[in-house]
Amino acid sequence: MKFLPARQALILAAFALLPGVGQAIYFHDKISWQSPIPRSELVSVDQARAWGENVTWVDARPDQDFARDHVRGALSLNEDRWNELLPQFLAGWSPGKKVVVYCSAESCDLAREVAERLRKEAQIPDVFVLEGGWEAWVKKNR
Amino acid sequence: MKTHILAFTLSITVCFGARAELKFDKTELELHPTPADKQAVGHFTYLNTGKQPIHFKSVKASCGCTAAQSQKDEVKPGEKGEVTATFNIGDRTGTQVKTVTVETDDAANPKTVLTLRTIIPQQLEITPTFVFWKQGEKPDPKAITVKVGKEFTVNHIKVTSSSPDFQTKVEETGKGEFKIDIQPKETNSLLASTLTIQPEDSPKVFYATARITGAPTAPVAPAAPPAPVAPKAPTVPSSPAGQTH
Repeated sequence: MKFLPARQALILAAFALLPGVGQAIYFHDKISWQSPIPRSELVSVDQARAWGENVTWVDARPDQDFARDHVRGALSLNEDRWNELLPQFLAGWSPGKKVVVYCSAESCDLAREVAERLRKEAQIPDVFVLEGGWEAWVKKNR
Repeated sequence: MKTHILAFTLSITVCFGARAELKFDKTELELHPTPADKQAVGHFTYLNTGKQPIHFKSVKASCGCTAAQSQKDEVKPGEKGEVTATFNIGDRTGTQVKTVTVETDDAANPKTVLTLRTIIPQQLEITPTFVFWKQGEKPDPKAITVKVGKEFTVNHIKVTSSSPDFQTKVEETGKGEFKIDIQPKETNSLLASTLTIQPEDSPKVFYATARITGAPTAPVAPAAPPAPVAPKAPTVPSSPAGQTH
């Protein structure tokens, strides 16, 4: 009788755990608290700015967003027109130069996808994704 | 003790019983467009199983490349309908997963996330799509590997260099693979070339870039950027100056 509340609490906790375990198994490849971008491939606005002229900025957003505004000197490179835009990016790239790709916000996937294609397909080294994207850039440059 | 467990089990049952009134047949769709398709369209069909009309508040796609819309604003009880998600393929490759978030005034389930998985067939996988030599570097040939996608058969490929300053040689290495050797005539000048790679009997065109790079602050003009690919009217340089295989 003495241990009844503790037992009840344990049983309730076990019940509560079940959906969590189910979700973790079912969604094992997209657990929300795991960032799809490794920490080493992210760069903050401050750090990227500190690299100065040694950076090629890449805007992965759609054309209309790039036309509205973008980081000064950034090149547009999105997957809508990848074949057309990639040669323009490659013409401006130099060995040893870092590449910082951004899209609109922390939650957007475009920068990660463009960065991945630059690394895998074009085999460009030192490609980073801007943490917080364009929103973070605007906040820091108000 | 038994009463507590019974109460807990009942509460769980009641929770599951209060299901959404707007019921989607599937919340995840897998699409397999053909290489010629420019768009992939997913139809998420639903039924209002409740007794009250349901109103859509918003239908938003996770990416600018996907347009999503509901056919109507109000769904009457017993009425069917669909949310359409149109994914613009553009120059994307591989498996693309995009989501559409549907918000309604259905109190039991105000938000539903629909997932559109599009498997884009890749006729040729080119690695790397970019080769470069530093200015003054020995002009040794560099290799580009072309791998034919599993569901395709390609016996020959045609490679065209936009610049006569780069020579190319194509070799069939078997197992659906080709090797392109590309070599600049010299590396003292800042040169660039776009390689147009086209499978035999196919309108689809693929690209790779070769460049002689200079100092970090000395970019050269883009090497004849290719026009967007039109499946029925391939864009091949009208008078290729370089090598064709």
